[in-house]
Amino acid sequence: MLIQINDVYKIYGEGLESEVRALDGVTLSIDRGEFVAIVGQSGSGKSTMMNVLGCLDIPTRGDYFLDGTNVRELTDKELSHIRNRQIGFIFQQYNLIQNLNVLENVELPLIYQGINADDRHDMAMEALERVGLAGRVKHRPAEMSGGQQQRVAIARAIATHPPIIMADEPTGALDSHTGHEVLQFLQQLNREGTTVILITHDNGIAATAPRCVRLQDGKIVEDREQEVDWL
Amino acid sequence: MNIRQAFKMAFRSILGNKGRSVLTMLGIIIGIASVMTIVSTINGMNQQSLKQFEAMGTNKITVSAQRYDGQDVFQDLYDYCLQLSDYVEGVTPNSTLWNVNVVYGTKSSKAMEKNQENMGNSDGMSGTDVELPPNMYLGSDQYAVCNNFQIEKGRDLSFLDIQKYNQVCVLGAQAARNFFGYADPVGQTMSVNGYPFTVVGVYREKDPDSQWSQDNIIVFPYTMSRILSPGETFSEFSVKARSAEAAVEATSRISGYLTGLMGQNQEKGYFWVDSNNQWQNSYNEQATMMSVVLGGIAAISLLVGGIGIMNIMLVTVTERTREIGIRRAIGAERSSIVTQFLIEAAMLCGIGGIIGIAFGTLATRLAGRLLIQIDIWPSVTITLGAFALSVALGVLFGIYPAAKASKLQPVEALRAE
Ligand SMILES: Nc1ncnc2c1ncn2[C@@H]1O[C@H](COP(=O)(O)OP(=O)(O)OP(=O)(O)O)[C@@H](O)[C@H]1O
Ligand SMILES: [Mg+2]
Repeated sequence: MLIQINDVYKIYGEGLESEVRALDGVTLSIDRGEFVAIVGQSGSGKSTMMNVLGCLDIPTRGDYFLDGTNVRELTDKELSHIRNRQIGFIFQQYNLIQNLNVLENVELPLIYQGINADDRHDMAMEALERVGLAGRVKHRPAEMSGGQQQRVAIARAIATHPPIIMADEPTGALDSHTGHEVLQFLQQLNREGTTVILITHDNGIAATAPRCVRLQDGKIVEDREQEVDWL
Repeated sequence: MNIRQAFKMAFRSILGNKGRSVLTMLGIIIGIASVMTIVSTINGMNQQSLKQFEAMGTNKITVSAQRYDGQDVFQDLYDYCLQLSDYVEGVTPNSTLWNVNVVYGTKSSKAMEKNQENMGNSDGMSGTDVELPPNMYLGSDQYAVCNNFQIEKGRDLSFLDIQKYNQVCVLGAQAARNFFGYADPVGQTMSVNGYPFTVVGVYREKDPDSQWSQDNIIVFPYTMSRILSPGETFSEFSVKARSAEAAVEATSRISGYLTGLMGQNQEKGYFWVDSNNQWQNSYNEQATMMSVVLGGIAAISLLVGGIGIMNIMLVTVTERTREIGIRRAIGAERSSIVTQFLIEAAMLCGIGGIIGIAFGTLATRLAGRLLIQIDIWPSVTITLGAFALSVALGVLFGIYPAAKASKLQPVEALRAE
């Protein structure tokens, strides 16, 4: 198993009147090469789930094994390395750094890997070519449309060739046509062997994933595999 | 991530947000420049007035005394001061000679007086090269001690010169230049109201900058009043005390002695004893007060500058918490974040500090020229002190919030607006 969480809780304000169980005893395994959609209503705990799986957050209780390693036992430095090399993130809000141009944004994870300038430039350009933005590398994020910014974010996520891509509502801020393109791109990555975890509240999008996990009030209420046409 | 990368990253970040960078630097520039200017100017003023007082002679007591019967007071005062030798270093008449013409070769003090009159009539500024007439004094062998002069060439007036009515004189450095140029005056003979006087010595220059120089003087043995100002009795004297405390003691004893001489109600003559220390003290009090006030202003401006730096740093870091979250999410270690912010802050503060020092130096020199007409350079201590303080503030407030933000879970940092 690539990803394995056992009885994981994420509880905000535990013991208080206002206690929120964003994750309420979740158990889930994901295999290498899977394409999993995590779907649910607003507030059901989808983002919390991705943050835990992406080592951006630590669960209140429960174990998380990533590629056989218990994440709880890792140091902050080791977690940084995992985020840097194993996972590519795509966020709903793009999360680009505004003061850096497109190329610099895409190079950033490669810089933290310690890759030299020439290789870094080549790898970043390759990723930008894949998303069709090789011609706009000197622009600032603010000078680009939402769809273009999301493509920059995707280029940044794939520049390091991570085995896992995690996307939290990647199409949420985009029109349906652009959203569809992003989706197809994720499917393409999956065909090439990347494990993709896609968070969405949209049942239509969830229906295009071979596996669909439904969250409700922090609990998994459904976990089903389905036939899709793109495989 | 290596250190070179960290530098590049910091540099890119500084260039990436020029507005923020300029604001941060502005705080530092203003802070350093204002503190430097204020403190350096006060410093320069105090040093200047200290120099003046020292040149005039510290611990000097001025005595005016005259008997109505016309008998000379100096011999009595001289003898009394000998008894006070625990407190008193020297005593001399302080008598200016008027209507005396000193001639050497083609130079004469009368001609120099003409120069002075012409200068007064014209614009006044052209007088820098003009030779002004020397001030001429009758003094004892202790004139130099009392007025803080030291012999540069030759010898001072001696007790024998006084006793034997020797026709000798000692020149101040400026007077020596005016009459002799670069030649050695010692041993030369000048004509004073037609009498030959031998120059026996030259005093060391006290104050090369000043035009109305204390160095443009000629001192004759006071017994020469016999031929240079016949019939004159001395009424002005200078007494040099050994220390500030001695000056207080000597002032009261001399007053007591003169009361005895002149009578309780000054029936036989008048006198007046004044210690220069008194007005030096009152000046010092004023200077201290000014230092306190201006020092307070400096402290406030540093505080304001410091708060400005702190504010902009804190604001940008809150603004940048999200950036820190993004960097952490894509794999930056805590140490990389802290290193980057440290280098950024140090670069900004360093550059700002250097510009601030440049402006501060300029402003200090301007203030010195315009306000007190002296040449001030900011002291190295003040410069480095202001620099170190501002950089410390900038780095502290640049790095502390960054270190704090880097300790957050990446998801919390990402949530920051
Ligand atoms: N930092 C927090 N403090 C308190 N409660 C939180 C915090 N983060 C999330 N929650 C709560 O946890 C629950 C799950 O939040 P989460 O963001 O995972 O929902 P979601 O499924 O991603 O919703 P959406 O589709 O709107 O993004 C929500 O009720 C939310 O209010
Ligand atoms: Mg969400």
